[in-house]
Amino acid sequence: MTTTEWIGARAPRREDPALIRGRGRYVADINLPGTLHMAILRSPMGHASINSIDASEARTMDGVHMVITPDDIPDHITQFPVVWRLPGQKDSGIPALAEGKVRYVGEPVAAVVADSRYAAEDALDAIDVDYETLDPVTDPEAALEEGAPVINEDWGDNVAIHHVFAGYNALGECHYDAEAFDNAEVTVRGRLKIGRHSGIPLETRGIVADWDEIHGRLTVHSESQVAHLFRTELAASLGLPETAVRVLTPNMGGGFGNKWDRYPEDLLVSIASMELGRPVKWIADRREGLMSTVHGRAQVQEWEMALQSDGTILGLRGKVINDLGAHLHSVGIGPAWVTGAAAPNQYKIANYYCNVIAAATNKTPASTFRGFGGPEGIFGAERMMDKAAKRLGMDPAEIRRKNMIQPDQFPWFNAAGAVYDSGNFPACLEKALEAADYDRVRAEQKELREQGVYRGIGISSYIHVSGFGPSPILGYLSYYTGGYEGSTVKVDPNGKATVYTGMIPMGQGTETTLAQVAAHHLGIDMADVRVVWGDTDQTPYTGFGSAGSRSNVAAVAVIRAVEEIKAKAVRIGAGMLEADAEDLEYADGMVSVKGAEEMRSVSLAQVAQQAYWAHALPEGDQPFLEATYVYDPPNFTTASGCHVVVLDVDTNTGRITFRNYVIVDDCGPVINPLLVEGQIHGGVAQALGGALLEEFVYDDEGQLLTTSFMDYLLPSFTDVPDMEIHHVVTPSPHTDGGFKGMGEAGTFPPGAAVANAVTDALSHLGVEADELPITPSRLWSLIQEATR
Amino acid sequence: MKPAAFEYHAPESVDDAVGLLSGHEDAKVLAGGQSLVPMMSFRLARPAGIVDINGISDLDYIRCEDGVVRIGATARQSALEESGEVTGCAPLLAEATGHVGHRAIRNRGTLAGSLAHNDPASEYPAVLMALGASVTAVSSGGSRVLSVEDLAGGHFLSTALGSDELITEVSVPAQSGGHGFAEFSRRHGDFAVAGVAAVVSMNGSGVESASIAAFGGTSPARLDEAETALVGSDGGSSAVAEAAARAASQFPATDDIHGSADYRRALIDVLTRQALQQAIAGAQEV
Repeated sequence: MTTTEWIGARAPRREDPALIRGRGRYVADINLPGTLHMAILRSPMGHASINSIDASEARTMDGVHMVITPDDIPDHITQFPVVWRLPGQKDSGIPALAEGKVRYVGEPVAAVVADSRYAAEDALDAIDVDYETLDPVTDPEAALEEGAPVINEDWGDNVAIHHVFAGYNALGECHYDAEAFDNAEVTVRGRLKIGRHSGIPLETRGIVADWDEIHGRLTVHSESQVAHLFRTELAASLGLPETAVRVLTPNMGGGFGNKWDRYPEDLLVSIASMELGRPVKWIADRREGLMSTVHGRAQVQEWEMALQSDGTILGLRGKVINDLGAHLHSVGIGPAWVTGAAAPNQYKIANYYCNVIAAATNKTPASTFRGFGGPEGIFGAERMMDKAAKRLGMDPAEIRRKNMIQPDQFPWFNAAGAVYDSGNFPACLEKALEAADYDRVRAEQKELREQGVYRGIGISSYIHVSGFGPSPILGYLSYYTGGYEGSTVKVDPNGKATVYTGMIPMGQGTETTLAQVAAHHLGIDMADVRVVWGDTDQTPYTGFGSAGSRSNVAAVAVIRAVEEIKAKAVRIGAGMLEADAEDLEYADGMVSVKGAEEMRSVSLAQVAQQAYWAHALPEGDQPFLEATYVYDPPNFTTASGCHVVVLDVDTNTGRITFRNYVIVDDCGPVINPLLVEGQIHGGVAQALGGALLEEFVYDDEGQLLTTSFMDYLLPSFTDVPDMEIHHVVTPSPHTDGGFKGMGEAGTFPPGAAVANAVTDALSHLGVEADELPITPSRLWSLIQEATR
Repeated sequence: MKPAAFEYHAPESVDDAVGLLSGHEDAKVLAGGQSLVPMMSFRLARPAGIVDINGISDLDYIRCEDGVVRIGATARQSALEESGEVTGCAPLLAEATGHVGHRAIRNRGTLAGSLAHNDPASEYPAVLMALGASVTAVSSGGSRVLSVEDLAGGHFLSTALGSDELITEVSVPAQSGGHGFAEFSRRHGDFAVAGVAAVVSMNGSGVESASIAAFGGTSPARLDEAETALVGSDGGSSAVAEAAARAASQFPATDDIHGSADYRRALIDVLTRQALQQAIAGAQEV
C-alpha cells in the first residue's frame, strides 16, 4: 500500500500470522535449561484454621528440590500491596501463602519445586495439613450481619469499605435530597443481582523466574498486563532494588484484567528461583485458574428511582453490596466504587445517593475484570429505567429520550463526581432503534404473542469512562500509581521507525494500532514501523496500562513523540535544503519547501542519515532522530452507545434464542474498524457469558462447584448471536485525534439489554429478570412462580 | 493437573487384555480416553494400571449382520456418524451421536467406552436401552452377553461389569419403527441437562410398541410407565401428553448447578413429547 492515511484503515492485525500458525510464544513455551517446576497445594476448604503443616515426607521424595511452607518464606519477604486504597478502606495485602488460616478454596497453603510437574504434584499428596474447620461466610449480605464469622480478624468485621456517593459534582449542582423521594409522584424499586464470574483467559496464568546470582538479577517471564508495576511491586516484596528485576512478557492468550493483578505464585516462584539458583516455572492448570485467578462482578444492588409522572427522573438512590471474596486484591474495592460512579449513566440525574459496601466472603478474591465495575453500574441503571417505564406505561425508548444528557450539555458533571467529556447519546439511541427496526418489531411482538411466541426487545444505553487516567485525579482517588503512558519513537538511519511502548498487548491489536498511528503521522508505510513491547529493560515505564487507554493515551504519546521527530526533521532538512525552517513542511515522509514551483525536498531517510552521521546538525540538536513523550491525559474520555437486542423465550424450558443484536458505538474517530469491531464482538460475547452462562457457584460450606469447563460454561460461537455494528462519531475534545477507549465497552450493556428483553418478552406474566446469569433453570423457576 | 503414576499396558489381543485385567485388581481400560484421562488428570481416578486396547486391531469394526448392527470396542463415535450400517439399521443411534460432545471428542471417543463409563447425562446408555441393545463382556473366565439395561440401568458412573471384564462389542438390533430423540443442554455439545430417546412402532389401530428411555438423572432409565400409557393408544396428542406426564414422574431426577430436580422433570415432559411426536411421525411413514 502506498497510502499514508493509516488512521481509519482496516489494516489486518500484524499479530495474526504468527498466532494463527501456532508460532506465538507464551510463558508456557519458555523452557530454560535446568528449569524446575512448581506445584501449589491449595486449600480444599472455604474457612479453616491451620493447626500444622507436615511436609517432612514430601521434602525427602525423589526429584523434590524444595518445599515452601509459611516457615520457609524468608522474613524479609513482604506481601504484595493493594494499589487502590480509598479513605476508610481496610488494609490487607496478598500473602504468598495462607498465614495461620485459609480463607477460600484454592488459597495457596504450600508449594513444591521438583524436577517435573508430575513429581511436584506427587509430593503435594504427601504434605499433611491439619485443618480445623471454621464457620464459613458465603453470602455477602450475611457477612455484614452482626455475629457473622469474621474472615480477616484484624478488620474486626467483614466490611472492607463503606463508601458513600451523596450527590456531588465539581460544579456544586448536585446533592442528595431524601425528601424528593418521599414527595415524588412515582418511586420505583429494584433489587438486582449480578453473578460471580470472570475473564477466564484461555491462556491460564503462569510465570518463569530465573535468578542470576552472579549479576544479582532476577529475570521474570510473566504475562502481567502491567509489567513495570509488576516489576516495582515484585522487587519491593522480594527486598531487591528495582534495577535487579527484569520482566519479559511474551504473547498473551487473553488478559481481561485478571492478569493485571499480582498473585501469590509470582512471589513463590521468585523465592524458589533465588533459593535454588535455577529457573523455576509454574503454569496454572485450568482448575487452578478457575479457583485462584481473581473473580469479578458479584454484586447485590438495591435501587430506588424517583420520577415525575411524565417520566422525568428526580433522583436515584441505592446500595451496592460487592461480594469481595476473602480479602482485598490488587485494586481493592475499585470495581464497586466505579459501579457507584457509573450508575447515573446517560441521564440528567442531580439527586443521587449510593452506598457502596464491600463484604468479605469465603471465596476467591474479586478484583480486576474487563469493564471494572462499569457493566454492573450500567446493569443497575438500565434495569431501573425499564422498571420505571413499565410502571409509568411508557415505552422504554421514550423514557430514555426524555432523560438523556443532550449533545450541547458537555462537559457533563455527573452526580457521582465523574466528568463526561463528550457524546451524542440521543443519536446513538435513535440509530440503534432504526437499525433494529424497533417500531416494526414492537408491532410484530403483539401478533407473535398471540401465536405463543414470546418475543422481547431490550435496550441498554451506556457510558464507558475510559482513558485512565489523569495522574493527579488518580492521586486524588487514592490510587498509588500514575495514569500516563510514555512512548519512545526512533527513526533509524534508513528512515524506518521503531515504537517502544510500555503497553502489554493481550489480544487487542496494540502492535497494529500503534504502528498505524505512527505510520500515519510520519507519513510512511505501516510496514516500515516496528513496535517493541514486553521488556521492562527497553520500554517506557507504565503504572496503569489498562482501562481503555491504548488508543487515547498510549497512541497520543506516540503521536506527540512523532511530532517532536518531525520538528527535528524539519530543522535538519532546513540545512540540507538551504532554506529557512519556517519555509518548510513535513508531509508524506518528506521535508519540502512550501509552495515551491519546483519540488525541493528531502526524504525522511535522507534526514535520518544526516541525523546519525551528524556532519552538519543544526546548532543545539544532538545526533539521532528519536523522541520520547510521556502523555498524562488532562481528562478521561467518555465512550458511549446503545445496544438493542431482540430475543425469544421458550416458557417451557427457559431457553433464550436471539433474533437480532444491534450495536451503536461511539468511541470517537476509529483508528482501525477491523480491530474496533473485533473488540466489540469479543466484549459482547464475554458479557453474554455473564448474562446467560457463566457463574462461579459455591455451596454453603464455601466449596467451589465450578472448577472445570464442564461446569463453568463459557459462550462458544453457537451461543453468540450475529451482531450488527454501527458508529456515531463524537471526537473527544481533548485527546489528539479525538480517540476514546473502546476495548471494554462491549461488556457494558449486554447484561441489561438481555435482562430487559427477557422481562419484556414475559411482561404478560410479570416476570422480572433481575438476576444474572439468566440460566434456563433460573428463568423457568421465575416463570413457574409467576404462573402459579 | 498431572495424573498419578500408573503402569501402562498395550495388549495386542483380547486374551492378553483380559489377562492383564484379571491380574490387576485396580486397572482401567483405556479406549478413547475422553472421560478417563481427564479424571486421571484431576487425580479423581488413580488406577494402578492402564490397559490400552487401541492396539487390538480386530475390535475396530461396524457391521450389520442378520438385522443386528455390531460395533467393536474401539470403533470411534465419529465412525458411527458416517456409517451406512448405523444410519440404515439404527438411525436413532446415528442421530444421537451428533449430540455427543464435539467432533474432536467423537474422533477419539468410543461407544463401548461411553457405556462402560456410564455418565448418567450421556446419550448412549439411554439410547441403547431404547434400542434394546446388548454388550458382549469378556473376561479370562469366558464371555457373556448382557443387555444395556442390565449393564447400565440404575447405575451412576458405574456398571454391572466386573473389574476383570472388557466390553468387546455392542450389538444393536435393527430399529423397528420410528424413532425420536430430544435433549436439552446448556450449550451445543454439553452433557445434557435432560434427554429422551424413543422408538415407536404403529399398526392399523395405533401404537403397537414403544420403547422410551431418558438421561440426565441419577442413572439412565427406561420409562416403562410412559411406554404403557402409549402402547395401544392412537398415538394422538392426548396420549402423548399422558405418556410425557408419566415419563416426568418416573424419571429419576436430580439437582445440580445446571438445574433443579423439578426443572429436569419439566424438561422430561417437554422432551418426551418432542421425541414421541418425532417417533410417531416416523413410524407412520414406515
